[in-house]
Amino acid sequence: MNTAAPMEIPRWKTALSMMINPGEVIKTQMTKIPWPYSVMVSGLSFTLFFLQTGLDMLKTGQIGASTVILITMLGLLYGTVGIALLAVMVWALSQAKQRDYTLGWTISTFALGYSATFVYALSGLNFSLAFGWKTAVAFGVTGILWALRPTLYTIKQLSGKRVAFSIAITPLCGAILLIGWAVLGKFAG
Amino acid sequence: MDTRLGYAQGAGPSRVKLWPAYLCFIIFGVLIPFSKPDFKLTTVIYSLLIAIVVGLLAINLLILAFNRGNAVLRQADGGFAREAVGTGMLFMIPFTVLAIIALAVLRWNAIMPFASAAITTAAATAGAEAMKRGAQGTKNVMIPTLVAMVFRRHG
Repeated sequence: MNTAAPMEIPRWKTALSMMINPGEVIKTQMTKIPWPYSVMVSGLSFTLFFLQTGLDMLKTGQIGASTVILITMLGLLYGTVGIALLAVMVWALSQAKQRDYTLGWTISTFALGYSATFVYALSGLNFSLAFGWKTAVAFGVTGILWALRPTLYTIKQLSGKRVAFSIAITPLCGAILLIGWAVLGKFAG
Repeated sequence: MDTRLGYAQGAGPSRVKLWPAYLCFIIFGVLIPFSKPDFKLTTVIYSLLIAIVVGLLAINLLILAFNRGNAVLRQADGGFAREAVGTGMLFMIPFTVLAIIALAVLRWNAIMPFASAAITTAAATAGAEAMKRGAQGTKNVMIPTLVAMVFRRHG
């Protein structure tokens, strides 16, 4: 008889796996990830992304240091409250309640999908600080694009494996995020 | 009447189409010259032709690689590679839609990250779909990644 307990996968590994194999992570590992952890990942991702946006604008003299801090705080809000609201919208549109998916699970899965954004935002920030590059679009937007695959798999799971539905809703989520980022950037600047 | 429109389980082998993937390549081919400051009609035509060639090569190379690498599975189900690639390549659609929004609504001139993410994601998903259909070995993950890398650089 096998009495060995199943090995616990560290949360950071689950977050990284979300970039490579989101389908498997969503099906098997998301019940072990609490939503505050996932929201922390998306919150950090967007904080760093918005920080780079602010730094890019600071480099061109469009804004001052205090506005950079304001934009960064907006990023934190965007990555936590914004992503949670987006997850609620997807949960409602895909009628996930009928398939017994809770709001907590949905927010957690949706938010952890932004681990790719975190990796890109962190790399971008390094290049921004070390070499003075403008990195918001090159790294930040690319990071959001890389989060679309986990988003698509999450929607597919929530909607009962409806491929056409998930393909239609994913660009909507991406567009909301990108347009929201562009509008907030202009508003803060 | 089929009441499960859009459900993966309802999709039989004959329903997997490759034209949406080709259409995405064509759209990227048209969008990329529009994102450049020195826009010319000849550039659009060249870009379109290159996009069609890249699309044909990427899709057919993936099908060929999956068929070659999974001979046993191919004998059991001759259409598995086409199905896997067709399903995986559908994942280009969200990136293509977003690229159109980025160019037309947000007036961004950075379309290449969208094309790059689209090809890589679609190829990786094709690999995952092949494994879901019974293909075995890391080659089914490595080959799509390699194909995507090559076509990202030449896209």
